[in-house]
Amino acid sequence: MAERCAVVGIGQSKYARRRADVSIDGLVREAALRALEDAQLGWKDLDAIVIGKAPDALEGVMMPELSLCDALGAVGKPIHRVHTAGSVGASTAISACTLVESGRYRTVLTLGYEKQSDGNATWALGGGRSGSQGAGGSFAPWIRNYIQRSGAPEHIGWKVAVKDRLNACKNPYAHLQMPDITIEKVKESPLLWDPLHFLESCPSSDGAAAMVLTNAAGAKRAPKPPAWVIAHAKRTEFSQFPGRDTVKPAAGVDCAKALYKKAGISDPRRQIDVAELYVPFSWYEPMWLEGHLICDEGQGWKMTDAGETELDGDFPVNPSGGVLSSNAIGASGMIRCLEAASQVRGTAGGYQVDGAKVALGHAYGGAAQYFAMWIVASESNPTYR
Amino acid sequence: MSALPPVEYTLEYPYTRTTGPIVGAFLTALRDGKLLGIRCGGRVLCPPLEYDPETGDTLAPDFVEVGPAGTILSWTWIAEPTRKHPFATPFAFALVRPDGADSAICHAVKASGPEALRTGGRVRAQYREERKGAITDLYFAPEAEAENRYVPPGKGAVEMTEHLISLSFSEPLAPHRERYARGLLDGRFIGQRSPASGKVYLPSKGYDPIERVRMTERDDVAVADTGTVVAYTVITPVQYYGQKETEPYIRASILLDGADQPLGQQDIRTLPIAEFRSGMRLRAVWKPRAERSVLDVDNRWGGTGSVIERWEPTGEPDVPFEKIMEHNW
Amino acid sequence: MSAEDIAIVAVAQTPARRQYADSEPSMLMDLTNQLLAETGLERSAVDFTIAGSCDYLSGLPFAFVSNVDGFGAWPPVYESHVEMDGAWALFEAWVRLQVGDIDIALVAGSGKSSPGSPREIFPLQTDPYTAAPLGLDPVSVAALQARALLDAGLATERDFAEVVSRSRRDGLANPNAQVKKDVAVDALLKEPYFASPLRKHDLPPVSDGAAAVLIARGERARKLTKRPVWIRGIDHRIDSHHLGMRDLTDSPSARLAAAGVNLHAGPLDVAELCVRFSPEELVLRRALDLAPGTRVNPSGGPLCGHPVMATGLVRVIEVAQRIRDGSARRGVAHAASGPALQQNLLCVLEGGA
Repeated sequence: MAERCAVVGIGQSKYARRRADVSIDGLVREAALRALEDAQLGWKDLDAIVIGKAPDALEGVMMPELSLCDALGAVGKPIHRVHTAGSVGASTAISACTLVESGRYRTVLTLGYEKQSDGNATWALGGGRSGSQGAGGSFAPWIRNYIQRSGAPEHIGWKVAVKDRLNACKNPYAHLQMPDITIEKVKESPLLWDPLHFLESCPSSDGAAAMVLTNAAGAKRAPKPPAWVIAHAKRTEFSQFPGRDTVKPAAGVDCAKALYKKAGISDPRRQIDVAELYVPFSWYEPMWLEGHLICDEGQGWKMTDAGETELDGDFPVNPSGGVLSSNAIGASGMIRCLEAASQVRGTAGGYQVDGAKVALGHAYGGAAQYFAMWIVASESNPTYR
Repeated sequence: MSALPPVEYTLEYPYTRTTGPIVGAFLTALRDGKLLGIRCGGRVLCPPLEYDPETGDTLAPDFVEVGPAGTILSWTWIAEPTRKHPFATPFAFALVRPDGADSAICHAVKASGPEALRTGGRVRAQYREERKGAITDLYFAPEAEAENRYVPPGKGAVEMTEHLISLSFSEPLAPHRERYARGLLDGRFIGQRSPASGKVYLPSKGYDPIERVRMTERDDVAVADTGTVVAYTVITPVQYYGQKETEPYIRASILLDGADQPLGQQDIRTLPIAEFRSGMRLRAVWKPRAERSVLDVDNRWGGTGSVIERWEPTGEPDVPFEKIMEHNW
Repeated sequence: MSAEDIAIVAVAQTPARRQYADSEPSMLMDLTNQLLAETGLERSAVDFTIAGSCDYLSGLPFAFVSNVDGFGAWPPVYESHVEMDGAWALFEAWVRLQVGDIDIALVAGSGKSSPGSPREIFPLQTDPYTAAPLGLDPVSVAALQARALLDAGLATERDFAEVVSRSRRDGLANPNAQVKKDVAVDALLKEPYFASPLRKHDLPPVSDGAAAVLIARGERARKLTKRPVWIRGIDHRIDSHHLGMRDLTDSPSARLAAAGVNLHAGPLDVAELCVRFSPEELVLRRALDLAPGTRVNPSGGPLCGHPVMATGLVRVIEVAQRIRDGSARRGVAHAASGPALQQNLLCVLEGGA
């Protein structure tokens, strides 16, 4: 590899159903300025900017790099925009990372955002037509399939919802903070798409998330410990074809295999200290634990059930509160990557996993067909357990 | 045989944009018949920005009124306005530098004709009778043609501005979709069998994506109108702009006998939700020929337009889960 | 990893047409198959695939997802997408290969402008608070740029017409051109204004189309083709979005990109520029400091065919083809995005072993 890449600055906006106090410019600048501040750098230090967000119809702004370039200090610089549906935040982080790894760009700002309260996410997800089934409606049959295949008891999803929302109470940026949430409340909440209840489903949020990435020389100069990018991988498959496994998509398995191989990880369950997985609907926690080979098929729900994915568990998942607590679609994948970095930098505050040295950031998108994942570590050449 | 009419669709949403304090102040001023600029270093920028374009620093909300007159820096006479332009009859777009500002605003100029305009010419801000705190409240007119109407100020600060975005599209049905649609009108399901893999796709996209092979009319194949439910979702409609649904209903995918890919987007309203299940055997009940319509069939989505009256159970035993597990779409 | 090492090894484009009955994925499938056939590569040998397209052109959020059908994604593939012209997908692929761990990338750009009304869609690229609700479209903005050139004495309407006349005549020799004809400058100048000072012929046609290239590193490139076209550099920059703060007679971002690619490190035998509106050629010639005799748009350029989201990548292909057929040794391809050449990308290509 020509150059190593490290995360030296992290910034997020406060996530909320509607950020009525800002324009889109203001929203993205909130995250970008915090990331620059965290890195103790200024706009002039940036060599390139890579932004990402989900479909333009969410805000009704086409190719927003054009109207946002001034606000992001990009005038006179390269800026480009990645779009890979729900996985875009992670794809964008990876794209920015490759700019640094190529040796061509030293310091890159990467940012994902969505100002979806300006429009309507359900409308956009349904292609602007009546009768949209929303993302949950698309995933519900696959979730039921998983439950049937694995024999998982019905409360697993509710457990995930409670865990993630309670974790979010420690995250000052999170949109949903529900200190009084209980299993019963989740179970009693309206059924949206069988088996998903309202309180097991992600919110619709406005928000922006940003990172400053740089090379090894830049990481040395950084004021705070860097998070080293150890490996990244992306895989895509068709949304639909005869024989497709929608529950454990092959692209998800392949992506994980490629990622672990690149990272030198042979036992992800033991060698990864914490995972930020893209779980917009509760059941995707056990499904991705299996789908990304962290545990064997049929065992994911048992990990959840046994409390292993709790903040103080053996394999914490989504200590930040995850997508279930904040979901600005274009930012969500970037937030997973950023929160993984935060863990290994030791800057995760109230939801810090003690001694986290190796972390996984993950996103998926479309019809569970796009996968983008990265591994970050506190050391540039980590030794694994 | 003449072609079926093109697929027409409209993408429309009334966006409501929160403005933040800087754009908000600017639009509030427009509503009140004033033009605002923002101080930035030694300059005044209009429209106001939230940041210094040179340094990227956030700007303090240090506003100053500019205009109402200004100078044209460049202009163009629009002979054929689009439906989205501020005026339906010919007008000009211009870069106008309001008096007191150091930058120009790009906006519409209503003028008697292109002869009334020139670079360096003077124009004056004008305000619509009905203003809503949007950029469209404003326009310009040549000084000689401008009106000096009193603009009553509104109440409160503008913190949100609306933009109804409506785009219309029209494209012909692709040949294989046209044949599929005609089949539906005839009460038949026409899929395509891949010459490379033998798999039957319905509705086809005109190619086999796995083998990367295009398909032609030769590959058309009839598929039965009975099949198995392989996936479904109970939709409880959420209200949003353009939503027509109000009551819960089922959206199902049905693997028709003979197809290798399920037929999606089957909205089921006549079978009890509690009894619906994957594995059910269903049969299509077609509408009377004269009532069939394929206007909603397009080139991308699944769906069967409006040709099927309802799906009804065949009475056969359910197909076991293991047999349909891999068609879970 | 030195920038010398990456080459275009195969190219493919559909002709630009007013309207294709074919879907975008179908067009991309044909191009993908063509590239693989030409190089003898299996789909699985392509390490990275990246495409450029724009959902809003077809009015469908997530439209880009279907395009994956065209490239093939089974077994699963490493791929990505930018909501931009394929030229920016090429940029990302070129950067990606320089990381050094993979060798071959497939790059595409595609778009069907025929279903919608581009003049109504493109205003959505502008500032959502102060410009988009005015329906401020690219034609109107290009006209403002044209007038600025006239006012500054940097161009005449005859200059605009000469660009059109030459380009559309050159298009006659291009089998992929959609609009091609031999029209004299004086005849063009007799036409009425459409968005003054632009006339209808100063505008690009509305087109459907797609383009794709295969790029490869070093020895792989030499094995895949006898005539590799080396990418000597790609750089892209952007100007302020605020029209009222820009000098529309110039393109600072194009100039910066030119410095970034060392544009004048050698002679330029050909320049394929994204001239959608005739005055853009004059702005770009100056901003890129092209020698007066430089051959610009021998293909006819976007004035002859403008498959939005592929147009920039087509420029790369047109330069590459001239290098492959020996009529050029070194050339530059240009892509643009945004109102009045707001964002500019340059790609310098060179032949040789």
